[in-house]
Amino acid sequence: MSVLDKIDGLYQNRGERARKLRESGKKVIGYFCCFVPDEIITAMDMLPYRIQGSQNDPIDEADALLEPMACPFARSCFNLALKGEYDFLDGFVAPHSCDTIERMYHIWHQNKPSPFNHMINVPHMLGPSSDAFYRKELEYFIKRLEDFSGRKMDPAKLRDAVSLYNRRRELLRELYALRKENPPRVSGTEITKVLVAGMGIPADEHIELVSAFIQEVKNRPAPNPDGLPRIFIWGNEIDDAAFIQLVEECGAHVVMDDLCTGSRFFWEDVPETGDPLEALARRYICTHCPRTLKPQAGDRQTDLENRFGYIRQFMADWKADGAIFYIVRYCDTCELEGPDLKDYLNGLKLPVLMIEDDYSTSTMGQLRTRIQAFLEMIL
Amino acid sequence: MESTQQAKTTAVKGTDTAREVRALVKNIYKSAHEAKANGKKVAYFMVASQYDEVIRAMDVIPLPTENYAGLCAAKRDMDRFLLKAEADGYSQVLCSYARIGLGFDSLRKELGRIPDNSPDGGMPAPDMMLGSSAVCDPRFKWYQAASRYLDVPTFGMDVVAPPPQDDLNEVRDYYIQYQRDQVQGLIDFLEAQTGKKLDKERLWECIRLGDKAWQLWYDIDRLRVAVPSPMPSQDHFSIMVAGHYYAGTQIAVDFYQKLYDEVKYKVDHKIGVIPDEKYRILYGGGLPPWHTLWIFNYFESFGAVFVIENVYRGFDPVEVPSHVKDPVDYLAWRAFLRYTAYHEKARARSGNPTVEKLLGMIEDYQIDGVVFHACRSCRATTIGQTHIKSELGKYCDLPMMQLVSDMVDLRDYSEAQWKAQIGAFIEALQARSGRR
Ligand code: SF4
Ligand code: SF4
Repeated sequence: MSVLDKIDGLYQNRGERARKLRESGKKVIGYFCCFVPDEIITAMDMLPYRIQGSQNDPIDEADALLEPMACPFARSCFNLALKGEYDFLDGFVAPHSCDTIERMYHIWHQNKPSPFNHMINVPHMLGPSSDAFYRKELEYFIKRLEDFSGRKMDPAKLRDAVSLYNRRRELLRELYALRKENPPRVSGTEITKVLVAGMGIPADEHIELVSAFIQEVKNRPAPNPDGLPRIFIWGNEIDDAAFIQLVEECGAHVVMDDLCTGSRFFWEDVPETGDPLEALARRYICTHCPRTLKPQAGDRQTDLENRFGYIRQFMADWKADGAIFYIVRYCDTCELEGPDLKDYLNGLKLPVLMIEDDYSTSTMGQLRTRIQAFLEMIL
Repeated sequence: MESTQQAKTTAVKGTDTAREVRALVKNIYKSAHEAKANGKKVAYFMVASQYDEVIRAMDVIPLPTENYAGLCAAKRDMDRFLLKAEADGYSQVLCSYARIGLGFDSLRKELGRIPDNSPDGGMPAPDMMLGSSAVCDPRFKWYQAASRYLDVPTFGMDVVAPPPQDDLNEVRDYYIQYQRDQVQGLIDFLEAQTGKKLDKERLWECIRLGDKAWQLWYDIDRLRVAVPSPMPSQDHFSIMVAGHYYAGTQIAVDFYQKLYDEVKYKVDHKIGVIPDEKYRILYGGGLPPWHTLWIFNYFESFGAVFVIENVYRGFDPVEVPSHVKDPVDYLAWRAFLRYTAYHEKARARSGNPTVEKLLGMIEDYQIDGVVFHACRSCRATTIGQTHIKSELGKYCDLPMMQLVSDMVDLRDYSEAQWKAQIGAFIEALQARSGRR
């Protein structure tokens, strides 16, 4: 089987590998978003599984328990759970990412409990006291996992897990670096699949896959210059390749992103020196998600630079010609962040298309004309 | 009447004291304008953030932007602000309080003055903005966004509460420590902004006043177990102004004392909200429909009175251990105890603190039916209502319904649909009372 087939298989049948491992006795711990350290779950000899929704399936059963004005990504996840798709999870862990996830945790936990259920409070503010608090929350999470599994956390294993995931991060960054070429030899659609495929399998298996994929990409012949615009994507959860594919079909290369399912979850390493828990707390709390408030830094322009300077850098390094925001409707923090980021990028003469969508492939076709018009404007 | 929606928004109140609230509301905005004129600092702030007494102790004048949004809706003057925010790129599904606030700030900046005929004279530009993570995400994100229109210092304070499944003995210390650090961060910020040191004695005094007011408010609600109901929910939606916008002041204490006396008198003399009280309704949750408060009188026309509600007075009084001697520690402890008050009960039965609280109310207030209000743009107070309704159904057999609109955005409201739904609900109440 070629590496692409493998990736596609994992991307299509998302829970399959986790189910198999579970049959062989491994415990699988499902979680949301980018705040729960995979390292902790891995060090406890369990499999971390990033819970995803499905943009292809209509949300039907969840509506009887969860209001339709909740974020459709979260509703879709819950919908799948109600239909039994997540029955293979031994644990259900929700970080307090946002109002929707926090409220949904209680609903999920009461209607579809896993053997192990836990919510981690993630500070919304940044600073030394937030780091200290988050570290304590992670300690408590470990304690709960220990009680659940009847095993103690081995500090050496935690260090190993940190190195393991750093190795994966390094490889993913290497893969992303390949997108700097013009035109890139790897598409945004492929990247999405590689990332999503890795969200529910052991890190070492993903590492193998990503390494093989990088080799495959490097062996591809360099494509001829095509003059198509290079696009940066900003938003939250895009765990289906359909949207990125649509953008690429409209005539563009998606070259870089700041998404919970993209660079946001792996970009920064966890320092390997010092206390690993402190390092994990610091690293995970700083995830670039609009749900975290960066303390104000100076006047408006300085503050925007402080909040979004890394995006300017991303766009410069990957030579992006414009940005498309994909905001999952009802995500209040993204809805509030979007206009600020748009102001900032427009100030840098970078064009922006801000899209609010329902996290559904069925409505996606309606976006085609808007995307096409935007791409034409860039050229 | 049926074809055109009612232009009137307010409800006929049950108590005389509640009628005095209008002046209290006007005074919020008047004081802010006066403070600006006198060189005092004015701060945008969010209610129920556990920091009210600190703001008062620092002599900063609080300007509640959420209340202003509700006020605009009650005056049916919200569309120009909503539309302005939407024109500036904010989504139509974003919290409508935030949209009104942002739209107002945007217009004020554009015009270089307060928009003409703004309700109650409008909000002056603040000197700072104090967001918090209590209740919901927009409450800190909104002020960050507002810096598009206002180049003033902003601060966000975290407010944390453990989930009911946590072992409180394991988490208590570090939750309280973090809350303490967050309040201290706010104090440092305010000291820098005002150039004044916090006077801890003054803070104690404000806390004492704050607790006193909330104790009286609680006592009033306990009086409301009486049959017939001496004070309806529409009054509650007014009188909460004292507890939230005047927390930590003598004004709130005096106000609730007066209200207490009036409610007590009504209880003693069996004076009900309506002459023939047939059904006692619990307002189960959700922000009130500020645009359509008269709907409560509409229920009354069928003999249904809203006797108690689960919104705004979010906490019962708590007892902070006597070893806590520092006012900042006290605030952190108080927040923790407030947030975990129903955790033990939840763990013993339903697993859900809100369900436990509501079941307690259903019993104490002899409730015949429960009504929730889902607000399309408020995730925080709406998500979970459907679930809570179904959980409640496991422990009691009462008619329940969920009305849907928005707290201020009228585009999400249909009077005809509400009346039809209410009609069906009243029938269910009738059928049930027939069964009894
Ligand atoms: S997309 Fe937004 S609302 Fe949805 S889960 Fe993520 S942070 Fe929460
Ligand atoms: S989302 Fe709800 S709780 Fe939050 S600011 Fe808006 S109205 Fe208030």
